[in-house]
Amino acid sequence: MIEIEDLTFQYRESDAPVIEDMSLSIPSGAFAGIIGAAGSGKSTLTYALNGIVPHCYPGDFYGSVRIDGNDTCDTTLTDLSQMVGSVCQDIDSQFVSAVVEDEMLYGLENYGVPHDQIEGRVQEALEAMGIADLRQRLIASLSGGQKQKVAIASILAMRPSVLVLDEPTAELDPASSRNVFALLSHYAEAHGTTVVVVEQKIALLSEFTDLLVVVEAGRIRFAGAPEEVLAHSEELLEIGVNCPRCTTLMNRLAAGGLYAGPVCTDVPSACRALCEVAA
Amino acid sequence: MDGFLEYVPGNSFLHRLNPVTKIAFAIMFAIACFCTGNLVFLCLMLALGLALAASCSMMRQTLGLMRAVLAFSLVLAVLLLLTTPKGDLLVELPWGYIGSDSILAAVVTVIRLEAAAIPLFLTFYVTKMTDLSNSFVKVLHVPYRYAFTFASTVHFIPVFMNDMRGIMEAQTARGVEFDQGGMVRKIRLMVPLCVPLLISSVRKTNSSAIAAEVRGFNLRTRESGYKRYPMTGADWAVIALGVVVLAAAIALSLL
Amino acid sequence: MIEFLDVHASYDGTTPILKGIDLTIEDGEFVAFVGTNGAGKSTAMRLVNGLLKPDRGAVLIDGVPTTQLKTSELARRVGFLFQNPDRQICSSTVRDELLFGFQAVGRLDDEARRRVDQIIEEFRFDGDADPFLLNRGTRQLLALASIVVLAPPVVVLDEPTTGLDFCECVKVMGIISQLHRAGTTVIMVCHDMEVVADFAERVVVMTDGRVVDQGPTFDVLRNRKTLDEADLVPPQMVDVSLLLPVMEPRFAGTSVATANTLAEMQAAIEDVAAGGAAAMAASEKDALDDVPFQGSERKER
Repeated sequence: MIEIEDLTFQYRESDAPVIEDMSLSIPSGAFAGIIGAAGSGKSTLTYALNGIVPHCYPGDFYGSVRIDGNDTCDTTLTDLSQMVGSVCQDIDSQFVSAVVEDEMLYGLENYGVPHDQIEGRVQEALEAMGIADLRQRLIASLSGGQKQKVAIASILAMRPSVLVLDEPTAELDPASSRNVFALLSHYAEAHGTTVVVVEQKIALLSEFTDLLVVVEAGRIRFAGAPEEVLAHSEELLEIGVNCPRCTTLMNRLAAGGLYAGPVCTDVPSACRALCEVAA
Repeated sequence: MDGFLEYVPGNSFLHRLNPVTKIAFAIMFAIACFCTGNLVFLCLMLALGLALAASCSMMRQTLGLMRAVLAFSLVLAVLLLLTTPKGDLLVELPWGYIGSDSILAAVVTVIRLEAAAIPLFLTFYVTKMTDLSNSFVKVLHVPYRYAFTFASTVHFIPVFMNDMRGIMEAQTARGVEFDQGGMVRKIRLMVPLCVPLLISSVRKTNSSAIAAEVRGFNLRTRESGYKRYPMTGADWAVIALGVVVLAAAIALSLL
Repeated sequence: MIEFLDVHASYDGTTPILKGIDLTIEDGEFVAFVGTNGAGKSTAMRLVNGLLKPDRGAVLIDGVPTTQLKTSELARRVGFLFQNPDRQICSSTVRDELLFGFQAVGRLDDEARRRVDQIIEEFRFDGDADPFLLNRGTRQLLALASIVVLAPPVVVLDEPTTGLDFCECVKVMGIISQLHRAGTTVIMVCHDMEVVADFAERVVVMTDGRVVDQGPTFDVLRNRKTLDEADLVPPQMVDVSLLLPVMEPRFAGTSVATANTLAEMQAAIEDVAAGGAAAMAASEKDALDDVPFQGSERKER
């Protein structure tokens, strides 16, 4: 359970808050997606969840963020990071090792996971991301999608209750992006992990998330199930969030009185709805 | 696609040695090279270095390295040639002369640098940085903080070189001709590129420090490491060889 | 005109990345290269402006092999926008950054300065701003502007919209399509099939170092079989247009089966719905007509 209450944060060197009066609660086990225009405070929001804000960046912090009841301001970054696993935006700077296996071990060694459990955890995390065969490979020799999976697996091995990812598919092609989301969502469901992911690819978010949060200029503009949020396609467009095309299509048909069903978030649901329109 | 100083996977004798052994041997080897000016001994050392490289099939990387060291040591050699008038007069210079011993000194410098460099660089090619730093923590009780700082510095070298390649490529696409003209021109062209490189490095090191911290960097102790780095018989044998080489060099220099 | 003649290429001379590419790009075309990561798209782009020379075969620019052109000559003919603008930007002000390209090819004169001022105006930049303090989208625009300012006849764009939000993406693509309308040849690598569908005239599909399909944009995007083989998904409207007639025979043979864009699809669906409604109205009318006819029985007086 993540509870954000009246959160306001302003970096010391900037002249306006990046996050203003934000309140949001994300239930345990939710798959939450955050979307918004550049500079709307998405990344800072992820920092607030994993404690990098306020612990690593100086600035003014108001309100509170609680992870399973622990206030991030009163908990050390080291303790927090056992609950909240973070995958950075720039994964190349996250890697500390040359070989996949060593990268997997790093966090486990640091947190003093008993040595007889380490092997099992490494294997489990690698399998969860479908990369067990890459264990002995050099990270430098992997493709972008494989690297991303290694970065995620190395965090999953620590078994965090919350996983925070900042644009994990920015550098990936559509097929690998979808694959990463599918693996994540499968893992999260099996382990009850809460996932918070910042992402620009709206089609992926609407397919995989159960909570979609739209951020505009440091505030939450919409938060809810994708079907609820995407109903506002015209307003979303105004703040720089483009709905999937089939959502826009169905919303326009709905506005024209041709369709009255629920909002469609992907191609199959739109096609089913259109068949009904025709019938 | 192997980069400068980047680990090359393998299972040779050198790969399997304890990282501490490799570093210790490489350092003794290098000191030995600097202890003596005996040309025959240095040539033997160079041959030994090359044999080591061959034993872990790292000849290609080693030859590349030798070329780079050659360029550097030639500059030194020429300086030596022009500034140390020793031995029989060969060429008259306005400020002295080039003697037969000057040539000998120049050759010794080149061979010495080449020989000393090989095992040091080889160590990085056959050892994972994580193993190197972890074994230092385990075997030599070096504080983890220092070992990690060293490891990540080396870890970032190929990352930065990759960045630099990308930056130069981007500028080439804009018509900057790195491939034409002399060294001075090339350096002059490269100076403005240090700005983007510096900016990306600062960003990278900053986010990598944070990434390490949120993975429990502060909790790490000597006991944390999962892998053991025991010293085996082979390790002690190699260290003994290093001691012998070093002793031989010192003996030669005293004779 | 750019021609690829049986091009084989690699970065290290041993691992082939491109395995025999034959391709011609005419002046003034807008061509999009699609394919998964590692299919060889970026490598093909590097060959276009001579950053990489082919191992075998040749890349010709206006009939001249790239191997025979000097760097500055290539840069004058082909502008290249990289995925990461930070690798390109190296000056301390926006104005200097825009002048840098002229400096690099030795054309730093009053004409160049006038051109830079004009671009600053067009893009609504602050000429004295520090590029490194701008946000990601603006830096991408600046990188694009520093290519546009040199007015090359060909521009190559390696994933120009990656990492941008929707508004920034619209802005960048707006400038690119403006360039194209002004006669510039545009060659673009792009993962976003919606962007490809909206802007490209021709699409080249690559898999594993080879071209597996090419042709007019929607001919290629509607070819589900090759797209599947290349691990690509068509843009959503094309996907709907391909799926609907299979799921519901009523859509077969209507304009739904040929609609490519959102507007076309909306109109097509409205047509079908209206057609359906019209048919319904017609059949209801028929029914009404039938009733008296059936019900009229001669009654005995």
